[in-house]
Amino acid sequence: MHFKVNGKQVFASTGGKPFDKAKPVIIFLHGSALDHTFWGLHSRFFAFRKYAVLVPDLPGHSHSEGPALTSIEAIGDWLNNITEVLDIDNISVVAHSQGCLNALEFVSRYPHRICTVSFIASGLATPVNPALIDAAENQPEDAIAMMIGWGFGSAGHLHQGPIPGNSMVAGGRKVMRRNVPDELATDLKACDAYQNGKVAAAKITCPIPVIIAGQDRMAPRKATTELVEYLNDAEVHVIPESGHMVPQEAPNKCRQLLKIFIFANNPAT
Amino acid sequence: MSHFYLFDTLSLHAGQTIDPEFGARAAPIYQTTSYVFPDTDTASSIFNLERGGHAYSRITNPTVGVLEQRIAALEGGSAAVCTASGMAATFCAITAILGQGDHIVASTQMYGGNLSLMKNSLPRFGITTTFVEPMDIDGFRAAIQDNTRLIYGELIGNPGLDILDLEAIAAISGDKQIPFMVDATFNTPYLCKCFDFGVNINIHSVTKWMGGHGLAIGGVIVDGGNFDWGASDKYPTITEPYAPFSGMNIWEEFGPSAFAMRIRAEAMRDFGATMSPMTAFLLLQGIETLSLRMDKHLSNTKAMLDYLTSHQQVTWVNHPDLPSHSSHKLAKKYLPKGAGSIISFGVEGGRDAGKAFIENLQLASHLANVGDAKTLIIHPATTTHSRINAEQLVAAGITDDMVRLSVGLENIEDLKADFENGFHAAKKIATA
Repeated sequence: MHFKVNGKQVFASTGGKPFDKAKPVIIFLHGSALDHTFWGLHSRFFAFRKYAVLVPDLPGHSHSEGPALTSIEAIGDWLNNITEVLDIDNISVVAHSQGCLNALEFVSRYPHRICTVSFIASGLATPVNPALIDAAENQPEDAIAMMIGWGFGSAGHLHQGPIPGNSMVAGGRKVMRRNVPDELATDLKACDAYQNGKVAAAKITCPIPVIIAGQDRMAPRKATTELVEYLNDAEVHVIPESGHMVPQEAPNKCRQLLKIFIFANNPAT
Repeated sequence: MSHFYLFDTLSLHAGQTIDPEFGARAAPIYQTTSYVFPDTDTASSIFNLERGGHAYSRITNPTVGVLEQRIAALEGGSAAVCTASGMAATFCAITAILGQGDHIVASTQMYGGNLSLMKNSLPRFGITTTFVEPMDIDGFRAAIQDNTRLIYGELIGNPGLDILDLEAIAAISGDKQIPFMVDATFNTPYLCKCFDFGVNINIHSVTKWMGGHGLAIGGVIVDGGNFDWGASDKYPTITEPYAPFSGMNIWEEFGPSAFAMRIRAEAMRDFGATMSPMTAFLLLQGIETLSLRMDKHLSNTKAMLDYLTSHQQVTWVNHPDLPSHSSHKLAKKYLPKGAGSIISFGVEGGRDAGKAFIENLQLASHLANVGDAKTLIIHPATTTHSRINAEQLVAAGITDDMVRLSVGLENIEDLKADFENGFHAAKKIATA
């Protein structure tokens, strides 16, 4: 669906069901230069199980009006603006990669509407190699190759995937090509500049699972472990066979973990 | 930068997850119609496209899925759907986005089956086509109408072998927000990855070089994932709610693989032009050696071109790698390894001499196929293109004396010796 935030058009997938704010809400947050399609194997599942699903494209990304927001803090504010515009609460946030940084700021600063937050494949911060930022600005195809190359584990690189006939690696490239150079470079700079992770994590008091990908080369185990240390009583799950793109590479295991957690902590009736 | 697997490796491994039960190295043949669901929730979520998985082999099958993902990987496409034949692929791809009142702009130089489909069959369903000479780029632009929904061609035209200027036509496609679909059977992804030049959808008859063994009929549709279906209101089958799946908006939910998902959700389910698991298995065996075979096809083709162009009984030879060919520059651009292994040529003495030539070959098989490991030969005007009229024959570049040769993998000296027998017989006719 489309709606306006701060005067700009926003697109959010609703998982194939009309958005009904009377239901418990799940907001899925995508990572750098990606969009709502990243969550396709999750959003539809919950939308057909009595949840109001919202998968926004960040400003400037795919179907949402730009420009991209330049800081994680600004994205946190923008997410809160969405909740105000749509007047929604009972929200479970599910975040991946840069989406986790966005969630840290959003949930820690605007906790009153939030029931749960799930962090997938992220740390407290995401320092970005300057060569990657430079490539994003000047050689976007190289930057996409780095992101996709590091992002997917061995199954992804062999074009295996949960949807028969689909190549996750190629699909990821196509989505990112819609969001370069401006959105990717802006996202990466915002990640690199973000320093408030420890403070934000410590403020979050709602139930939290953290899902770690065993073959993650973008958010290594050390970084995720640090995030867990600063969160309050997070439950930790490891999916050993997956790379960074765990919601796509191991969707069934990831969805099952989210299902158990969200059904228990933010039940739909 | 992270390393990506290259073509030869993907030909062997892409799309296959090792069988977790027994560790089978080869892709198993899942010869089954259907699949036992672990629980009702899983069953309903597979049916509702909430999760990947298999429900019924008309829609998806694990063996066919390996082939689909392997071809998607080799092409650089976001998704692929295999079909019962190349013609099924063409029909399903067209009807996924076109309906009553819609229009195609297509190259005149196409496989006879494609020409017949667009000339004779699709008009019965209200889909019309304007045909344009493949080299006439302005003609493609001029032929586009308000109701045009597709631009279609073959990179290497069959059998005239003119090369389609992909980038020039892709520019028109982009300007007009109309997808560009290419039958890439004659080039295979080893010779040209069409998506790199702006093509949006690829079709293959995988019966041909992709399989290479002549054992199995099959087709594939590859979604380039690079067309913005939502940029206009021209493609409601992709961008409007789809009733059979609870009003699913395929474009919103599947983004770069929306076209392939539409094929899966409609064509496989409602039309049922499904590839069998056994066929997929056979085709996988062929694709494992695609690059090796294509290299040999190309080296034999080069040697055969040298032989034919210097032969006294050959009146003309047509292949884009020859500097005399009108598409030679385009061939160098789009097909730098070589412009495929189809050669057309004329035998001195006309139609009867050509007939004698073909009938006296021993190694080269006289049959209606191309892209086999074995050398194949045919007279297009009386066979593959016999159902189109004289005007269309001229437009397709087919003459009465044309012989179409699909160069195989035999030892080139044996092929030359075989051809000498044919030419000897043809000479008797020509001089009688």
